[in-house]
Amino acid sequence: MKTTPLRLLALLLASMLALAAQAAPSAQEILAASDAVRNPEHPFGVTNTLIEYRNGQQTGSSTLGIYSRADAHSGRFRSLVRFVAPARDAGKLMLYSGKDLWFYDPANKASVRLSPQQRLLGQASNGDVVSVNLALDYRASDAGEEDVPDGERGTRHCHKLTLAARTPEASYHHIEIWIDTGTLQPVKARFYAESGKLLKTAYFRHYRKQLGAERPTETVIIDGLDPNWVTVMRFSDWVQREVPDAWLQRDYLARFKPD
Amino acid sequence: MHRWLVCVMAVALWPQWAHCDDSDALLLADAAPRQVAAAKDWQWYAEGAFGQAAWRHGLGRDANQRLSLDVQLDKSLTTGWRAVLANRLDLNWPAPSGQQHSINTLKEAYLSWQPQDERSFDIGRVNARYGVATGYNPSDFLRAGAIRSLVSVDPASLKKNRLGSVMLRAQTLWRGGALTALVSPKLAQQASTEAFSADFGATNNQQRWLLALSQQVSEDLNPQWLLHGGQGQATQLGFNLTTLLGDAGVAFIEWSGGRDRSQWAQALQRADDTAWRNRLASGLSYTTASKLTLTLEYDHNSAALDRASWAALRHGPSAAYLQYRQWTQRAQELPTRQALGVYALWQDALVQRLELNAMLRHNLADHSRLAWLEARYHLERADLALQWQVQSGKAGSEYGTAPQHRAWQALVRRYF
Repeated sequence: MKTTPLRLLALLLASMLALAAQAAPSAQEILAASDAVRNPEHPFGVTNTLIEYRNGQQTGSSTLGIYSRADAHSGRFRSLVRFVAPARDAGKLMLYSGKDLWFYDPANKASVRLSPQQRLLGQASNGDVVSVNLALDYRASDAGEEDVPDGERGTRHCHKLTLAARTPEASYHHIEIWIDTGTLQPVKARFYAESGKLLKTAYFRHYRKQLGAERPTETVIIDGLDPNWVTVMRFSDWVQREVPDAWLQRDYLARFKPD
Repeated sequence: MHRWLVCVMAVALWPQWAHCDDSDALLLADAAPRQVAAAKDWQWYAEGAFGQAAWRHGLGRDANQRLSLDVQLDKSLTTGWRAVLANRLDLNWPAPSGQQHSINTLKEAYLSWQPQDERSFDIGRVNARYGVATGYNPSDFLRAGAIRSLVSVDPASLKKNRLGSVMLRAQTLWRGGALTALVSPKLAQQASTEAFSADFGATNNQQRWLLALSQQVSEDLNPQWLLHGGQGQATQLGFNLTTLLGDAGVAFIEWSGGRDRSQWAQALQRADDTAWRNRLASGLSYTTASKLTLTLEYDHNSAALDRASWAALRHGPSAAYLQYRQWTQRAQELPTRQALGVYALWQDALVQRLELNAMLRHNLADHSRLAWLEARYHLERADLALQWQVQSGKAGSEYGTAPQHRAWQALVRRYF
């Protein structure tokens, strides 16, 4: 085959375009990459300790054992959450599968269907507690790059993305999220209601090597209306483990007894 | 420390935080305690209560006290084996009518074998509870005779403080579905009032069986079908379904039906009047942004007395009336065909950690009412609660007959 100048030019242009595309991932790809930083790709267990503060005083704490796996079809995480503390709630369970949310109390053997608005953990919403892949439920658009203060008093150079809800599973109308341009680690996010009201700000911090990647081991949530209302979520005891599909349904809740 | 002082310090140390929106929150988070609670196999609590009841017919008021101990154990033995025990002891002063001061409720005691994640077998006393409604559960087929010690009219308390049935239960699960089968043998003839009796006669006085099938049919719908039968009774069908109404609402329907004698014929051992009977509980729950959940429930029972028969019974011989009421109470059934219930739960009401619970039940045949209110404050390892209830209605009505007209109770619960 003869190489003509025109063909050479086309080849050069195509290569440049491919390189450009490689060099500049889309906003949606950046978001998906930051999801992968927060969420292990295989089924896992983790302990989430929530500590709540009002006006500088600790007002409550809960410890949850979380068992999650991504659904093979939808990619959305399905999770079983077991209350470990406080004592009054120990042994209670919550099953999260999208908006399908069940609460089980071993004292009365009752599985109760909850609406997404029913929160059992103070300020933390259901989506804050369990693993969520934002890229599945939000459409990301690039809002530029900027230096932002992170949760550890440093400054990170970040992609700023604006996320608009695109599925009924999305918990928030829109989100602003800052993602480190180098590591693609989420640094900070602001969550908004449809009215434009700021609902909460979250800082993802204390990155440590967990299950094969640097992941945030702490999320600090600050209420949008009352900045004196703060929830610290601390993740520990990460472990890769089987979370069978059969566990993730109402009828399994009475049987659930983790190792 | 004052917020402004924290801000000044934070800005001095980290100038990029000059806007000071979030720095004090992050400082607070830095100092958060680091210990992680570990799961326990057992838990127990002690509850002390005192209160007062006002009686009808000018019989004055009575003070009462109660001490309760409640223990739950769920222990893995070896791989696949597990032991479950739940027991409650109530000590009452004065003793409830017809009972002793001490009433022990052996709620559960069973062994469980789970050879695979998808299969399990249980043997022993198991509290197998079904149903999705709040106040009346027609598909909770094993509820008859299960209440041994009545400590509150709150539906949540009635569901927690009850006897399981002795049974052999097997369950198999698959993705989005489950099939459960159980058989419950006859072990005794009659219920016991002995303080520490396991009281198998209350729950296992006839042979019974039950099948329950759940299958997810869409992301939002996971209906459950039940079949229940036993010695001397026709097979009954049951059905449970819930669905979301937007982000804040849940609709539920619970039904049971089958050929059965009327409650009147069963309670008074009258002539066989077997016909198809339906029992239904349906309603809506709605949760506001301020954590207030309101539930409205409509209950129907075609095996119960209709308005005219109920009126006739109320004005007829008292022995028949008492026999019918005792039968419906033991069976946890509606005495008349229709009722309404309104339930409210407000978490973090007015102040954080304060929970307000309210219930209003209304008999649509005689318009009598039961109102119950509870304010419960959660401390780190304890609850403080104040409960109040009033039963009102004409003589002979569902709630106007109870000798207790008004009552209040204060209680302290300590978790260990």
